[in-house]
Amino acid sequence: MLPLELRFERRLETAPWLGPSLPILAIFVALFIGALILWTTGRDPATGYSDIFQAAFTKPGALTATALSATPLVFTGLTAALAFRIGIWNIGGDGQLMIGALAAATSGVALGHLGAWISIPAMIVAGAAGGALWGLIPAYFRARSGTSEVLTTLMLNYLAPLLLGYLIFSSKSWWRDLTSPGAKVFPQAKTIPFDTFWPVWGADIAIPFGFVLGIFMAVLMQIVLRTTKYGFEVLVTADSPLAGNYAGIRTKRVFITVFLLSAALAGIGGASQIGDFTYRLEPRTLQFAAYGYTGIAVAALARYNPIAVVVAAFFIGGLVNANLSLQGPELPLGLLGVIQGLILLFVAASEISARYRVVARYKSRPPIQ
Amino acid sequence: MLGVISCMKTGRKSELPNAELALEDPEVRLRNSALAARGITKAFPGVVANDRVDFEVLKGEVHALLGENGSGKTTLCKILTGFHQPDEGQIYANGKPTRFPTPASAFEAGIFMVHQNFSLVGPLSVAENVVLGWTQTRNWRFDKRKVEEQVFAAAKKFDMSIDPRATVSTLSVGEKQKVELLKALYRGAKTLILDEPTTVLTPQEAKQLFASLRRMAEEGEAVIFISHKLDEVSEVCDHVSVLNQGRPAGMANLREQRVDAQSLAKLMVGRDIHLRRKETTGLKPDAGIVLEIRNLNSVDSNGSAKLKNISLTVREGEILGIAGIAGNGQRAFAEAIAGLHLYGGGEIRVKGAALSSGNVRRSIEAGVAYVPQDRLGTGLAPGMTISENISLKSYRSVTHSVGPILRKKAIRDDTCRLLAEFDIKGQESSLVRQLSGGNAQKVLLARELTSDPNLIVVATPTRGLDVSATETVRDLLAQAAVRGAAIVLISEDLGEILDLADRIAVICAGEIQGIVDAEGAEIDAIGMMMLGKGSKENDSAAA
Amino acid sequence: MNDLLVVTLLASGILYGTPLIIAGIGELLAERSGVLNLSVEGIMLMGAATAFWTSQSITEGPSWLALTAAILVGAFVGILVALILTFSVITMRANQVVSGLALLIFCGPLGLSNYLGTVGNLASSTGQHRLPKLDLFGLGDLAVVGPLIFNQDVLVYFSWILTIGAGFYLTKTRAGLHLRAVGEEPNAADAMGVNVVAYRYFHTLLGGALAGVAGAYYSLSISVNWVNNITAGAGWIAIALVILAFWRPLFVVIGAYLFGVVTSLGFTLQALGFKLPAELFSSLPYLLTLFAVILASGRLSKFNLKAPAALGLPFRR
Repeated sequence: MLPLELRFERRLETAPWLGPSLPILAIFVALFIGALILWTTGRDPATGYSDIFQAAFTKPGALTATALSATPLVFTGLTAALAFRIGIWNIGGDGQLMIGALAAATSGVALGHLGAWISIPAMIVAGAAGGALWGLIPAYFRARSGTSEVLTTLMLNYLAPLLLGYLIFSSKSWWRDLTSPGAKVFPQAKTIPFDTFWPVWGADIAIPFGFVLGIFMAVLMQIVLRTTKYGFEVLVTADSPLAGNYAGIRTKRVFITVFLLSAALAGIGGASQIGDFTYRLEPRTLQFAAYGYTGIAVAALARYNPIAVVVAAFFIGGLVNANLSLQGPELPLGLLGVIQGLILLFVAASEISARYRVVARYKSRPPIQ
Repeated sequence: MLGVISCMKTGRKSELPNAELALEDPEVRLRNSALAARGITKAFPGVVANDRVDFEVLKGEVHALLGENGSGKTTLCKILTGFHQPDEGQIYANGKPTRFPTPASAFEAGIFMVHQNFSLVGPLSVAENVVLGWTQTRNWRFDKRKVEEQVFAAAKKFDMSIDPRATVSTLSVGEKQKVELLKALYRGAKTLILDEPTTVLTPQEAKQLFASLRRMAEEGEAVIFISHKLDEVSEVCDHVSVLNQGRPAGMANLREQRVDAQSLAKLMVGRDIHLRRKETTGLKPDAGIVLEIRNLNSVDSNGSAKLKNISLTVREGEILGIAGIAGNGQRAFAEAIAGLHLYGGGEIRVKGAALSSGNVRRSIEAGVAYVPQDRLGTGLAPGMTISENISLKSYRSVTHSVGPILRKKAIRDDTCRLLAEFDIKGQESSLVRQLSGGNAQKVLLARELTSDPNLIVVATPTRGLDVSATETVRDLLAQAAVRGAAIVLISEDLGEILDLADRIAVICAGEIQGIVDAEGAEIDAIGMMMLGKGSKENDSAAA
Repeated sequence: MNDLLVVTLLASGILYGTPLIIAGIGELLAERSGVLNLSVEGIMLMGAATAFWTSQSITEGPSWLALTAAILVGAFVGILVALILTFSVITMRANQVVSGLALLIFCGPLGLSNYLGTVGNLASSTGQHRLPKLDLFGLGDLAVVGPLIFNQDVLVYFSWILTIGAGFYLTKTRAGLHLRAVGEEPNAADAMGVNVVAYRYFHTLLGGALAGVAGAYYSLSISVNWVNNITAGAGWIAIALVILAFWRPLFVVIGAYLFGVVTSLGFTLQALGFKLPAELFSSLPYLLTLFAVILASGRLSKFNLKAPAALGLPFRR
């Protein structure tokens, strides 16, 4: 064993500098270890990082691409932020986003002819409902018999793309486009009508409607948590379910509704994928992107604060955008997960410092007189 | 009185002529000690638990370590057994300097500590628990049958009847303590430390324990007996050392000197306190009935009875004590009234209004206040602010919310008022987790009492509090009774119930064994009822 | 006779079940000590990538040497990754779920295993070493039992020994007794002189090593190549198996082979000419896990088959 020992001394007051400084420290540590990995595998970290930074934030069009990458992450980040905060380990953001996308595509195709004012809200509602539906089984069984939602939501993550794949690639379902010329070469889903494409704002930087919707959701979530009775019930249940029961809060109901709301947020993220970007279901793209898992890193970086989620999503969205556009032998795609994983790990491992002062010191033996 | 108690602070010796005076010399005691400490200092953030403590226990003596909650008794013993390392100071085993970097190293020196809440693994058998961690045998194999035989033999040798194959989680508290003693004896412990061993026992069980301790002392073993109860200390111990706020406050040889409880108490607290009964009672002859329980029954998920046919009433201004050994249905009983426990049959009425099983809101609306045993976690949300905890129940009311929106300012104002009224040291925005036990309990009481409840159910309200906080809490309860609230006081501490209650109901195995008037109650009779062996006929006052 | 559908199915059940057993027993030991390691899937991917890289790098010398080195590298990498987890959740007392997920993302299909796949150019090369079948006692041609029991590769036999060893260890050794106590009541075990931190570190690292070996099995026996996300959720199924086996080693084997059969059902039936959508077969293991986990926590939890009481909780003296 090392002669060094770590001691944890309880803080009598929460250190105020921790809130903002931990995430920044996490980013630096993650980037540093990422640089080590680049360096040991014979890549130049300096060039790599400067390329990433340019592609993410400074090159012409970079911010537009970053906003595009950040949009789904705002939603899945909110999903994890809301659920994790109350001790619901909903890691099913991925599957919930896909089923949300499926539901939104359905309503977009079916109601598209009614015009944007009806079909776009319908897509949002359908996306939320689809996501919530995919969260229903884990939520119900978690509340009823304590079934581990980690495993159930995860299995549903694997099942969602298979369902989508079946509908588009392996069957002649209603969702599949069987008529257009492109679809005859490679199977693809029906495209939503042009009227239902979600608006894009801004000239230099194109801000998709979904991103604005995400900011709205984050603000709404913060207001509900901070000022309403329901939000109070959520915060009490998050802190101590027993105290919640004791105070007459129906904690099971709170658990289920929070679970469903968090799943619904991911579902809206799926709707935004259809309305903002792809305009039709693309199962492979959605599966590959793994927005749900990235959302967990986003939420942790934001320390589960909804407003901070937007900022964190923009940062990680920049990384995603840069790593995807630059990927190749010089900048392997895997760097993305490495940095995200390290950020998440660092935030989790340093959580203890909010309540304890960590003191490293050399082991001294008690004296024998 | 002070003459007979040598003050360790000054090192002043007893002035009385004494046949074994030589033994009172610290140097001599140290040389003859089984286990000793010199100048032990241990600080935790915000508190110095032990401040230059000297202590020693001789072979063949039962030595009491007396002190209030938080006086550093347990910390000292954890240092003596390798759980904590002292910041300063030296430990001696058999008079020689030593150190215990781990609990295992203390075992090897024959020192064993029975912790307050035991160190047992519920799903394992008695035999498995007894040999757990025992490394003296170099055998890496674990032969269950052989170990069971060994443990059975050991139990027989020490005159204990216990089934080595029984699963520990199914045992009663008294039996669990036997397993703990068996562990110590199996390891051939020469020094035994017991941390408040009697809190969970009936008076009769405690007597049995004392007898075993005396026997062990006669066989030359050293026993350290941690306690804050004066009467049992003078009953069983040869020697007593008193700690007060981490400092040694004095010691006395109880076999040769007569020391009365009052002077020990003074040493413990460092000032005069009155060991008093409550002076005022809120009970008036014509007081109306507040709580009425008829034939309350409930079963747990395995189908065995938790509460059996409980019927009782409590009147305005009356304090009804519920005495019993921990785990005999007290929690279910309290939670049934608070609406947290689903009961199968029976009726609970508060001021005539029927409560409904498992409906917390109904109980709150009927004016039931509940101070649960686990303050942090149930009664209070530890990670939330004082003001949020104050509004934990009232956030639904019109004073604290409009429609779905909280009235944050009203909540803050109410909190600030209560902080002043109950003399709570803290800001409305400080987290409850960071409060001391006494302040946290005051926050809880402030919330529960401010609504002027009809009925207050309190469970072990002073557990873990220091003397002044204990006094405050008791005063608050007495005042509430005077204001006309009916109070159900559940406690494992019979002394507390005798001090506060007007009547005492004794519960055993979910059944009320009898209800007696506190005035002139016989402790032995209550002890028998706690074991379920008493008379079941109710006192006339119960009707 | 050995071409019978049942035999083929069982044989591929053993093939796909073996990594589940190895990773599952590893997870079982970690969970028995109170550490929930959710990064099994990530560790398996790392094991698969590094083992494949090793076996591809060793072009000279006998094949068994390359394979042994590959398996050991997989185990070693598993220990390294698990070491990060143990430091985080045992020493820093971090949340076990978040830490496990963090490592999963770190190692996962968009993380380090993918990175190594790109850097080592693994995806474009075909494997040169496959774990050979050992024809034990020359009984490999025996009807039915021949291919199933006497003609398997070394890691299949290892998985059997591992299971029996784990069962023996838990119930018949003092260390096993201590392990059970640490997972149930760490504070009591600590009070009795058991080094809780050491037990947790050791068994979680052991679990990591086994997960690394299980990953290596994919790239050395099941596929003998590298594709990104080669394990496709097997690590999660291994975690589920531990729950379904109620933390008992023998049940892990039964469950693993059941999942092995279900996983391979699609390939086998397709090879036999059944025309059914691929997605249906691919979804079977996940569906089975989903329902089994729900069932296990509902009905069956009434029996005395609960998780170790301290599972997922940090230890603090």
